[in-house]
Amino acid sequence: MEISQEEIQVQVRFVTKQTEYVVTDTPMIVPARLRRYGLSEIINHLLGFEKPIPFDFMIDNLFLRTSLLEFLENSGLSTENIITIEYVESMLPPTPLSSFQHDDWVSSVKSFNQKYFLTGSYDNHIRIWNTSGECLQTFIGHNAPIKSVSWVSIKDDDEFSFLSASQDKTIRAWRSSLEHNKYISLYECIGHKGSIESIAVSPSCSEFASGSWDSSIMLWTMEIPENSDDDEHIKVQASSKRRKVNKKENILTKYPITTMNGHIGSVSSVIFDDKDSNKLYSGGWDHSIRIWDVESRTNVDVKNCDKVVYGISYSGKSGLIASGHSDQVIRLWDPRAEDIAVVKLTLSSHKNWVTSVSWSTKNSFMLVSGSYDGTIKIWDIRSKTPLYTFFKQNNDKEKENSIPKKVFCVDWDNDIILSGGEDNQLHIYGSKNIGFTKNEK
Amino acid sequence: MFRVSKKRAEIKENDENTSDEDIISNLEIDMFSEEEQDSDSSTESIDKHKSINEDDITDKSQGNEKFNDETPGESDSDEYITGDSLDENDLDLGEEYVEKGFDKTLSKEAQDVYYVVGANGHPRKILPEIDPVYDSDSSTENPSNTIGNVPMEWYEDYPHIGYDVDGKKIMKPAKGDELDKFLENMEDPDSWISAKDNLLQQNVKLTDEELEIIRRIQMGSFPEQDFDPYEPTVEWFTSKPEVMPLNATPEPKRRFIPSKWEAKRIMKIVRAIRQGRIVPGKTQVQKPRFYNLWNENDQPREEHPMHIPAPKMKLPDHDESYNPPTEYLLTEKEKEEWEKMDPEDREKNYMPQKHSCLRTVPAYNRFIQERFDRCLDLYLSPRVRKNKLNIDPESLIPKLPNPKDLQPFPTSLTLSYDAHTDRVRCISIDPTGLWLISGSDDKTIRLWEIITGRCVKTWELEDIIYSVAWCPVREICAFIFSCSNKVGVILPTGICDEEVALSTSQYVTSGFNSSRRDDEKAKLVDWMKPTDGQNENGILVIIQHVHNKTIKQITWHRKGDYFSAIAPDAGNQGILIHQLTRHQTQQPFRKTRGIVQCVKFHPIKPLFFVATQRYVRVYNLMKQELIKTLQSGVKWISSLDVHPMGDNVIIGSYDKKLCWFDLDLSPRPYRTLCYHTKAVRNVVYHKRLPLFASCSDDGTLQIFHGMVYNDLLQNPLIVPVKVLKAGHRVVDSLGVLNCEFHPTQPWIISSGADHTIKLWT
Repeated sequence: MEISQEEIQVQVRFVTKQTEYVVTDTPMIVPARLRRYGLSEIINHLLGFEKPIPFDFMIDNLFLRTSLLEFLENSGLSTENIITIEYVESMLPPTPLSSFQHDDWVSSVKSFNQKYFLTGSYDNHIRIWNTSGECLQTFIGHNAPIKSVSWVSIKDDDEFSFLSASQDKTIRAWRSSLEHNKYISLYECIGHKGSIESIAVSPSCSEFASGSWDSSIMLWTMEIPENSDDDEHIKVQASSKRRKVNKKENILTKYPITTMNGHIGSVSSVIFDDKDSNKLYSGGWDHSIRIWDVESRTNVDVKNCDKVVYGISYSGKSGLIASGHSDQVIRLWDPRAEDIAVVKLTLSSHKNWVTSVSWSTKNSFMLVSGSYDGTIKIWDIRSKTPLYTFFKQNNDKEKENSIPKKVFCVDWDNDIILSGGEDNQLHIYGSKNIGFTKNEK
Repeated sequence: MFRVSKKRAEIKENDENTSDEDIISNLEIDMFSEEEQDSDSSTESIDKHKSINEDDITDKSQGNEKFNDETPGESDSDEYITGDSLDENDLDLGEEYVEKGFDKTLSKEAQDVYYVVGANGHPRKILPEIDPVYDSDSSTENPSNTIGNVPMEWYEDYPHIGYDVDGKKIMKPAKGDELDKFLENMEDPDSWISAKDNLLQQNVKLTDEELEIIRRIQMGSFPEQDFDPYEPTVEWFTSKPEVMPLNATPEPKRRFIPSKWEAKRIMKIVRAIRQGRIVPGKTQVQKPRFYNLWNENDQPREEHPMHIPAPKMKLPDHDESYNPPTEYLLTEKEKEEWEKMDPEDREKNYMPQKHSCLRTVPAYNRFIQERFDRCLDLYLSPRVRKNKLNIDPESLIPKLPNPKDLQPFPTSLTLSYDAHTDRVRCISIDPTGLWLISGSDDKTIRLWEIITGRCVKTWELEDIIYSVAWCPVREICAFIFSCSNKVGVILPTGICDEEVALSTSQYVTSGFNSSRRDDEKAKLVDWMKPTDGQNENGILVIIQHVHNKTIKQITWHRKGDYFSAIAPDAGNQGILIHQLTRHQTQQPFRKTRGIVQCVKFHPIKPLFFVATQRYVRVYNLMKQELIKTLQSGVKWISSLDVHPMGDNVIIGSYDKKLCWFDLDLSPRPYRTLCYHTKAVRNVVYHKRLPLFASCSDDGTLQIFHGMVYNDLLQNPLIVPVKVLKAGHRVVDSLGVLNCEFHPTQPWIISSGADHTIKLWT
């Protein structure tokens, strides 16, 4: 069998879209037993690079993960025909850059231009970190764990403005200045009756949306409200001691411009369309992904599956929604498709709930997912298996058998992947690292 | 008569031209003339006619009359002549005598004959008395008896012995006694040749002819003297078959009588054809006369369906070889042992032997014995045909839907909530499905965020927490716990809206303001305000029971106002129902029957389920009466749950069983499921989905699909769908202590003796 396999040869033609790596497109004969590494060597040889560059190979938009022969057999292609193989520079396995210790679980993380990282934690604090691992500022104000954070803007690397949502049913807008080491809480958004799980700022930065356990989605404007608005509400809040404290801080109160009801259970995740401020996507415990029209405040479309939706992410590049579910899979949806049964692709490899997903901002095929099984997986939707899987190393060897630390959030900003979870750390991975490794798996 | 016809022929010949009428007149004339002729001839032989009968005479005369009447019609009947021609010859002579004889007497005596009406109504001829002259017939001397051959004893008592021809009595002849008879015999010389005539009751002397007959009979020869046994055969009918038939007419068809037996045989064949036993057109297959014995195509005969093949003989072993390897040979010691052993006990009935070459191998001395044993085996051990039941085992299994089609149900372990330091006895999920509380033996209550597994809050109390229960109403954010003989209400601040918290607080504490009769004799409980420290923890009310027994279970009513507290050891105060808003306590049962295991409120109706050790009693709280008693058939009930529709109940028992009751169906279990290997600790229904689960000391949870149909005729469908294993460890032979379904999702949360709580999704 070995001999016969070696004897089989196939005619291939290499094509690429990356102009700097183009080779001749004349068909050539290669042994069918070759895997990715062998093909990559061929390309490097053809290009005559001294320092080899790893490539990934695709046949019919599917990644080659086995030998050529096995791939052809599995997909039922003939070895007689000329096979067109597209190759791309392979993404190197992300390398863990650094980890920033928090006091409690990290529930939410957002990166801004790969420079500043905003984290929300279960210790009720919000922190801003820079790449060197310094905690630039810590924001205190919420009375319950932070569930979600979102950047609004950064001016001149100094003036930060962002939003935070908490289990204390409020959203706060913050503005801070690094130089003066000062921060203020601009206003407090009151309206939700349950813990707020997710907030999203529209691309135009004029409004933001929040999803809560009380099964409602609320829309808010960015403008700072006038003080006189909230006289009545202060009276109501006076009964609570906690509110009295807040009142001392003298924070402005803001109310939603609209409430969009539709979800039957808790709303776990809301997200705006990358380009269209008018479109809002939300996922909830009622097993549905809903598409909302912001202007008319209507529920445009409902996409149902059988499992609870935890995190969703929309990529303007591929035009797909990715959602993480309680049945350990990631589902991809096409929001433009009219019919209801539109799960385009199901990615399964995680061993527990997938809590959070994030599309790559650079590549329209890549996404990252974090799960309760303690792993972060990077996917290319052209391949059904994950490209890379990360375990967070447990330093304590005694705890090897213990339950893995849950991952609550992931974010992919250009070349940096961020994750936060139960291990109280913010992990940063570089997704475009220099250095060639032969590790294919 | 023959003559008459001859005459007629003559007349015909003579007068051919005469008409028919003439012929008749001639005939009459002829007849008379013939009579005259006859009478003339008869006078000559009248003597010979001694024994002519009067009957004969009358017959003759009648016959003559007849003849006269019929004459005209039979003028040309040839058949008559031919048919009777045989008789003619025979009677020729005799007739002549007869006609001559009686014609004479007739002519003389015809005047004296007169008629009387006989017994049958016809006239009867009475003949005149015969004049006893010399020539008269002597045969009429003795009146002959006419009674026939009847026993003469019938006439013993009468004076007569019968009747003569004219019906006159024949008197008995005088009869002497024995002496007379003797004298008669002695005197009469003819007595030895006389015989007694039975009919006339007197001795008659036998004639010589009669004696001659007797003598001939005694000699053994023919009785009649002139009988010639050797006279030549006269062939009246020829023995030779006639070539020509006597009658030329063919046998008419009407004379054909079909044969019954032939018809029967034909019907037999017809029936066989109808039944197909005889195929009419079938040609007989010619069987080959000779068979090729050694033909290779010849197949062995098919075995009889009931044939049992004989077991095959064991193949020879290595040590049966004539030259086995030495390791097979027995050592001396083994040989000794082998020889000592009883032949029946020997493992092998031979001893391996080594021969250097085949030539030295002796004759096989066990051959006969072996064959004999084999025959004995075949003959004495009956071979029984094992009848395999041709039943597909799959068909015996009830048709249940595939568990895959019954999704969703929890399948895998997702989260573990680890913080407790002792076994977790009780858990409760809030109605929104976001929060979980757990009570443990480490004397703490913990509040968990379900989806992240974060312990949000911890309450430390002074005793083991036996039971916690979240208020089933969404508008009220509070739960109750039981701790020794106290029951407390806790408002978990921070997880609910302020308004809800405020209203809950008012709802729970409003009872303090209501006027209560504090100093009551039969005071059951004490509703106490919490201390400041407790108040900060969110404890709103503490209910201290008068009895000092541990409260094992607390259960809410669906409306969130009433709840019941069970203390199995507290006797008649074992079941108490508290009203939260008014701070009142009721004791629904004056006396409890047996130890109360657990209670449950009906989800819709005002019913109350009380499970004792063996029975579940259903009470109507409004009417205060017992409605139904469910007989579980288990030894010790551990837990009870009521289906959200209210018509079905499941119970778990410490003897590993789970029973499903259909309340409409029967007080006995509809299904008893015995899947656990150890005691069932808790059973629970899902609030929305058709699921129920049981948890057990064997460390597993069993998930069942339990569909209840609205159609009353359709029984509930129960399908075991999943066993959740490998979650909880068994500690001190305690496994999973409690479980509860998530109110909205198909998830189940279980708490175990291994200090953990697990979420299965």
